[in-house]
Amino acid sequence: PARTRKSSPPQPQLPRGREISPAPSPQIRLADTARPPRRRRRAAMSHNYGDTIPLHPSSAQSDMDEIESLMYDAPSATVLPARPPSPPRASIPISTSPPPPSSKPPLPASSVPIFVPQGPTPAPPASVSVAIGSEGFGPPPNTLTEPVWDTVKRDLARIVSNLKLVVFPNPNREDPGKALRDWDLWGPFFFIVFLGLTLSWSASVKKSEVFAVAFAVLAAGAIILTLNVLLLGGHIIFFQSLSLLGYCLFPLDVGALICLLKDNVILKIIVVTVTLAWSSWAAYPFMSAAVNPRRKALAIYPVFLMYISVGFLIIAID
Amino acid sequence: MRGSPVLPPKVGNAAATSRLQQFPPAPAANGGGYQPPGSPLGGDVETQTNWKGYFNVASYTPYFNVDTDVVVDRLISSVYPMEGFFRKIDVNPDMYGPLWITTTLIFMLAAFGNFATYLMQRKSDLNIWNFDVSYFSLAASVMYGYAIVVPAAFFFLFQYFGSRPSLIRFWCMWGYSLFIFVPASILLLIPVEFLRWVIIAGAGGASSWFIFLNLKECTEGADMMALIASASVLQFALALFIKVFFFA
Repeated sequence: PARTRKSSPPQPQLPRGREISPAPSPQIRLADTARPPRRRRRAAMSHNYGDTIPLHPSSAQSDMDEIESLMYDAPSATVLPARPPSPPRASIPISTSPPPPSSKPPLPASSVPIFVPQGPTPAPPASVSVAIGSEGFGPPPNTLTEPVWDTVKRDLARIVSNLKLVVFPNPNREDPGKALRDWDLWGPFFFIVFLGLTLSWSASVKKSEVFAVAFAVLAAGAIILTLNVLLLGGHIIFFQSLSLLGYCLFPLDVGALICLLKDNVILKIIVVTVTLAWSSWAAYPFMSAAVNPRRKALAIYPVFLMYISVGFLIIAID
Repeated sequence: MRGSPVLPPKVGNAAATSRLQQFPPAPAANGGGYQPPGSPLGGDVETQTNWKGYFNVASYTPYFNVDTDVVVDRLISSVYPMEGFFRKIDVNPDMYGPLWITTTLIFMLAAFGNFATYLMQRKSDLNIWNFDVSYFSLAASVMYGYAIVVPAAFFFLFQYFGSRPSLIRFWCMWGYSLFIFVPASILLLIPVEFLRWVIIAGAGGASSWFIFLNLKECTEGADMMALIASASVLQFALALFIKVFFFA
């Protein structure tokens, strides 16, 4: 989705993206006339957008106003590595996060993207939320026009980083605000479908029904578990919880793959027990922190129930 | 206080914690219970936002207002078919119990049903592990259908015959009555056929006696005995169904 510039004033914006207007020069002039009030506003919000590497050489036009404003803002800006951050999304605010954008741009159709750096914890916590590319100025790249491989690479990187945060031991796991700030639903989708497929391949009869049961249990189960926490008066964000429950399936995926390859009952029981314990360990801090301590068991039990039933499916399917 | 609207403080609590700015809708606020014909429908705010409340998670939080120890206490008192259960849930009926008891029971029936069938067949034919995944769908349809439809049907029947029940309390009570089948399904793994019948008869009997006592308490009137008896018989029939279809 195209990201829009936060500081865009209500006046009509000319599309400055390269993909829309082939003639850059008339744009600059018209943009110049619109520039002065915007410069003042941008000076006031000096830390809220970033211009990174332009993707096309034609966009390296020298926009003098752009350069001037950037030089004006430069003392407060730091140069972050050019990792495109994720679009702004609802997340539990923590103290080290950059201040949220003060206003959403009113023009969703504008093709001038900005970045709201809300990357995961690998970014240094003290960094100011400006991501300026290390080379060149100009309009920031648009995710609509970047190569597909870039998008895929970025999503894969996000999946891997979320996985490392959630499933593997790291010091930030206990803090629900930090654990999955950059949640996404691609990871859970891959893991659920992979688990369903693995179970379906393992089954000798009724393969499609096995996939249907596994997928339904996992998908509906994640939604119902999240609703359960919300109904018990807990404080979680719906999609963040879905994302977490999906990522915690990763150990069970590994277990299902091992069970698919080696069909020995004792081995299956051992593998499933280990991976089940791992999954539950991964999901426990998040779910237990979300509710009142007197209701912790009420929120945790259904999680265990879901993972145990999936574990049973893995053992039982032959 | 049966059938009266939920007291405002509880609802307000839910509103405060759930960022809900408006009063929950009247049907959810009084639990779908019977309202006497003369009473006003709560407040004017409620009737305006009536239908929207159904789709809002926050309007259902009053029914999940239980702590762990409360739920455990209710579970234990459902196993001993004693009379005090209805008094326990009268003030604060919860839907957490019925929802997760039925879900647990679905999983247990499917998993242990398969395992028990395997254990029985192992005596005659070695190593014929045949996992029937349709047990899951069958268990899900039967248990969810029973837990939702039967209390609702009896609610309407009781109302037709003049009593004044409360739907939420019926759902709560029927849901907790299913809890005894959870340990029973574990015990039904024992591959001795006679013992299995004894176990299921015991569990079914305890469950129907539980239903009988609590219905008798909550619907005053001796002329309801036919309905109450039919509810107990239905519960026993469910027990037999579980035995025949899952633990053959």
